[in-house]
Amino acid sequence: MAQRDLGEYLARISQNKVNRRSFLAASGLVGTSAFLAACSSSGSSGGASAAPAASAAPAASAAPAGDIEDSLFMYNWSEYINPDNIETYKAEFGVNTFQYDIFSNNEELIAKLQGGASGYDIAAPTAEYVPGMVEEGFLAKLDLSRIPNQKYIDPAFLGLDWDPTNEYQLPKDFGTTGILYREKLTGKPVESWRELYDLTLGEFSGKTVFVDSMGDVFVMPLKMLGYSLNSVDKAELEEARKILLDLAPHILSLDSDTYQVKLSSEEAALCLGWTGPLLELRANPDTADTAYSVPTEGSLFWLDTWVMMADAPHPNASYAWLDYIHRPEIQALETEYNGYATPSSEARKLVSQELLDDPAIFPPESVMPLLEGAVDTSGNNQRLDIWAEFKQKIGS
Amino acid sequence: MQSGTTRTGAGSDGLGGRIRSALLTFVLILPAGAWYLVLLVAPLVIITIFSFGVRAKNGGYAPAFVLDNYGAILGDLDKAAPFTTSLSMAIAGTIGCLLVGLPLAYFIATRGGSRKGLFILLLVIPFWTSFLIRTYSWLIVLGPENLGGFVGDVIGDDSFRILGTPLAVLIGLVYGYLPLMVFPLYVTLERMDRTLVEASKDLGASRWATFRQVTLPIALPGLITGSILVFIPMMGEYVIPQILGYGRIYLVGNALVTDFLEARNWPAGSAKAVVLIAVMMFTVTFYTWFVNRGRRGREVSVL
Repeated sequence: MAQRDLGEYLARISQNKVNRRSFLAASGLVGTSAFLAACSSSGSSGGASAAPAASAAPAASAAPAGDIEDSLFMYNWSEYINPDNIETYKAEFGVNTFQYDIFSNNEELIAKLQGGASGYDIAAPTAEYVPGMVEEGFLAKLDLSRIPNQKYIDPAFLGLDWDPTNEYQLPKDFGTTGILYREKLTGKPVESWRELYDLTLGEFSGKTVFVDSMGDVFVMPLKMLGYSLNSVDKAELEEARKILLDLAPHILSLDSDTYQVKLSSEEAALCLGWTGPLLELRANPDTADTAYSVPTEGSLFWLDTWVMMADAPHPNASYAWLDYIHRPEIQALETEYNGYATPSSEARKLVSQELLDDPAIFPPESVMPLLEGAVDTSGNNQRLDIWAEFKQKIGS
Repeated sequence: MQSGTTRTGAGSDGLGGRIRSALLTFVLILPAGAWYLVLLVAPLVIITIFSFGVRAKNGGYAPAFVLDNYGAILGDLDKAAPFTTSLSMAIAGTIGCLLVGLPLAYFIATRGGSRKGLFILLLVIPFWTSFLIRTYSWLIVLGPENLGGFVGDVIGDDSFRILGTPLAVLIGLVYGYLPLMVFPLYVTLERMDRTLVEASKDLGASRWATFRQVTLPIALPGLITGSILVFIPMMGEYVIPQILGYGRIYLVGNALVTDFLEARNWPAGSAKAVVLIAVMMFTVTFYTWFVNRGRRGREVSVL
């Protein structure tokens, strides 16, 4: 028994799939490496890490405008693009070199760019990081006339705070923060933040895990109170603080990396978390009762975006990619592959009904209006103080 | 013969020889010196400068000269809590390492015989595996299905748990850093002249008196080195409380991660790092003074 467990742990660790949502996590390795990356790239040598990729690129200026270059350098989350789509793209546009470099969180991406990394054509940051990247001058303004397929994007994802004029990013995938729970243990669906709160304080004291991510944890008290999850209002945050401190002693763990292990061992019954590990949990007969809900009070939706670098060496190949990836049939294949929702309303029609009905992938229509995008609030000291206080009171 | 030539060489060459030898010294010291400057002094200078700065609008560091970052740590007792927790965990961990490490080192050094090498090897082997994996494996050992549940059954308390408690973190700390305590102790004890112990016994000292007055003073340099070697990394520990402590034990290392990665407030994090270094310097200095106090006087009195 124990050996099987160890096998599982080790397999998980070695796989280390930072599949999109295990990320924001200030997780041990990820966090440390990002930190190191940040440190090293703030020096002058930082650019060197991306330089080999750049030096391999032929001079873009040699090609007349409009000609698609034969290379594309992408910086993205791991396993985030359907490999078949990459192959088709390469064949169709004659792009021979498709470089796919991986970052494990937005901080890593930004730290690398701040260190002067050049040579990348496109990247996939989360939307709330886009305004900062624009301010730093990292991103190219997109010429939407060269991306005709962007017309398929659901207007719900256009004109949002982080890019009001839709000039710097193209929506890529989206998803939510919500409640994961073992229905076998709870005996009933857990569908609201209020229920999560009551259960954690009551019957399931010591059986609830929260992801170790400030932005996501604040969603719960603020939405429960009916406020914006991005609130920086003093009084509202003070109310949120009380709720978090009520919860703290009853929380089993703050864990962004192995919460699925705690759910599968039944050490935890409830989890404020992401959808990443859900497919895996449901695939296992022992944990097939794991369910996910987007709380009825509303929640956070994250949006990953395509951006083009200001100094992209292969702008034409980049435009070709951006337009290609937004073909409805290609978008549908993306969602089937990575299990995250497409923002393309046309592609949605091509996705299987099973995926459409899965609240873990496509949030139900009823909660869509209650979803809110995250703004980067990491500079708010009141939030930080509450977060630190909450962390200190966990389990005490 | 050899020493003779050297001396004449230095003497007859006069100034040129002295310059050459100074040059040689410089060249030989250069690698270590550069290492020290670039990787130790420079980062310290950088974090000290950063600690007086402010957070840039999009995170990171912006130059300024403010004391707010220190004020926030020292002005509010709640915010100093991670420091006191870290300090007590590190002290407990060091004592734990000592309690396990001293008998172990003593055993290997004095009773190891021809198998000394084997014992040392056994102690080193776990280090060949990733620290993270070794820490994760404790999750299983201490988990509710294993030791944690077993102890719970024995004492008849279903809610008993080890994971997520300070005890789990302590076990992880002692396990993780034990070899750093054992090796220096082993080296000093291995060189110990066994006849001193025999002499002590011949002179009528009890086992305890022999240990206290002969073995322990001889082992003291190793003990000090070992304690410092384990204490310092324990103060900055981050992974063990995160994994075995379930994120319920909030140490300085965890606070630093929050500052640097979540808040992207490098100045606040740098200030904490500087305070951490100050706390460690004070503790280590006090500790070395404390264990060495009156030692010279005692040696004199023995004579």
